[in-house]
Amino acid sequence: MLILEFLVKRIAQGLLIVFITSLIIFTLLRVVPGDPVRLIVGGMAPPDVVEKVATKMGLRDPIIVQYGRYMRGLLQGDLGQSYLRPRSGMIAAGGQYVDPTKSDMALVTDLILERLPFTLQLGGMALLFALLISFPVGIAGGLHQHRWRNALAFGMQSLFVSIPNFWLAIVLILFLSIKLKLLPALGYQGFSYVILPALVLAVEIAPFIIRTLTTSLGEVMQAPFIDEARVRGLSRRRIVYSHALRNAAVPLVNLLGIQLSTLIGGVLVIEYIFDYPGLGNLTVVSVVGRDFPVIQGIAITTSAVFVFINIIVDLVAYLIDPRVEI
Amino acid sequence: MTATTVIAAEPEPRLARIRSVNRRILAAAWGMSSFKVGFFVFIALLLASAIYPEVSSVSATKMVVKDKFLAPVYLGDKWTWDHVLGTDQLGRDILMRSLIGLRYSLLVGIVTVLLIFIIGCGLGLFAGFKGKWWDTIIMRITDAQLSIPMIILAITILGVSRPTVPTIIIVLALSGWPLYARVARSAAVAERGKEYVRGLRVLGAGDWRILLLFAAPNILPPIAFVAVLDVARMMIFEAILGFLGLGIQPPTPSFGSIIADSRKYLLNAWWIGTIPGIFLAVALTSINLMGSALEKARNRIYGGL
Repeated sequence: MLILEFLVKRIAQGLLIVFITSLIIFTLLRVVPGDPVRLIVGGMAPPDVVEKVATKMGLRDPIIVQYGRYMRGLLQGDLGQSYLRPRSGMIAAGGQYVDPTKSDMALVTDLILERLPFTLQLGGMALLFALLISFPVGIAGGLHQHRWRNALAFGMQSLFVSIPNFWLAIVLILFLSIKLKLLPALGYQGFSYVILPALVLAVEIAPFIIRTLTTSLGEVMQAPFIDEARVRGLSRRRIVYSHALRNAAVPLVNLLGIQLSTLIGGVLVIEYIFDYPGLGNLTVVSVVGRDFPVIQGIAITTSAVFVFINIIVDLVAYLIDPRVEI
Repeated sequence: MTATTVIAAEPEPRLARIRSVNRRILAAAWGMSSFKVGFFVFIALLLASAIYPEVSSVSATKMVVKDKFLAPVYLGDKWTWDHVLGTDQLGRDILMRSLIGLRYSLLVGIVTVLLIFIIGCGLGLFAGFKGKWWDTIIMRITDAQLSIPMIILAITILGVSRPTVPTIIIVLALSGWPLYARVARSAAVAERGKEYVRGLRVLGAGDWRILLLFAAPNILPPIAFVAVLDVARMMIFEAILGFLGLGIQPPTPSFGSIIADSRKYLLNAWWIGTIPGIFLAVALTSINLMGSALEKARNRIYGGL
């Protein structure tokens, strides 16, 4: 019952958050200078044509009216149509006039659903790699607070957090992909294309996991119940893996919820560099092209994903340690 | 680690009690070799980027086409002592460009974190201390802001307006404050229930007086120590923006745009992208070493670790 109540409350709050997010992005896009119509009709079009198209698209209405119209569509599951992408998949270049009011533009919902699986795949792999890297290092560092293993965890964390992701991406592409021809890098033609970008992302996430794991495991290992477990005659392996780690996992799970936005931000840049056909790449292209409906759609999607994962995170934290308040 | 034994060997209880918690954290951090290494490297880079461009006659933006693609000293078949770290595709000195880039990077990083700290902690303290409606409203806005990834917000704003140093700082600060608000709020909520706050209430002190004069000095320093780490994070974000073409605009050099341009020449002139990358990575490592040492010291003093 407690869990049900929690879910209802959090989902209601989550909807509110997504609503505020969409309002922020919607307003920002229209307040900040930069007219999408100018890009759609091309630089040479006379101003009265720009105005005519803008009025027809509803971009000259008051923001609140536009937002109301957008919300009405959103409630019916309609995120609008892209300004720039026709259904066929080609991007309409500036000057090459495509009438954005016609129905042959791609639906934002389709664009996002098409790419979301790719991004989720990349994010999932990155998380997996990050856990594989950081668990051995983090656990060793946490168990031996004042030894070289702790220093190793500390050094690795400081180094990894200091490598700019885009620079690492370029260097890895140069060495692993171009020079050694071990892994493919650009585009997407199969599962092997995920590995390199996922590795770069993993290096970005791993330091946070290592840091939290060493600190929380170190704290837990000093708790009285660990000494008692020793007195009860449990083996060291048993103490560490089934008692200490379980308690140390709560801060770790919480961290994943908080660091999610870092992860999403990282995904965006990495996808752009690797030309990976995910949401991040779509975002960069849409922002440069001022494709308002797509940007709004992506912002709503990411904030929904963020809210959803944070609910899961709190739930998991509660299941691991029922003393955690939810 | 020798550093920890030094600390353990020096307890002298009387002295430790007199020194404030913050001084003890600083002293503990200073005792770690990683902090000292980071500190000296950071100071060296800071001085180099502040002084060298002022005294040197080399220009960071002047193009000398006949000097293009010069390798760093002893590292290629064409190099001169005039350009110690080589030149780029337009014959500009890489050392100078890296140092100027570092200057902007540090400027953006430090100012942004100061702003974030002020905005985030201010709102967080206020929300936590006032409670009730203020708390709910501020924290829900924080949640909404937190759910928009920083980069999406940044490129949305910078992508449509002309990126200059102040706009970059504002955008980064705008997207960075929520975490601080959360941390400061939870600290303020914990502080609100403490004995001394209730005591002050009984003595008739107002909310603001308690908050600013008594609670803030307890809550803020631990957050400030960790904020050092965020300087590095903001520098990375600045570089990412530059890389996407949304950072400081050319011809002013910035790490991101230099590295983005160098991609084309990676195979035959590796130094154009690699050297600025190393500069950036070294600067970030030095800041992170200091930051993590401070964090570790803080955890040790507060948590007894």
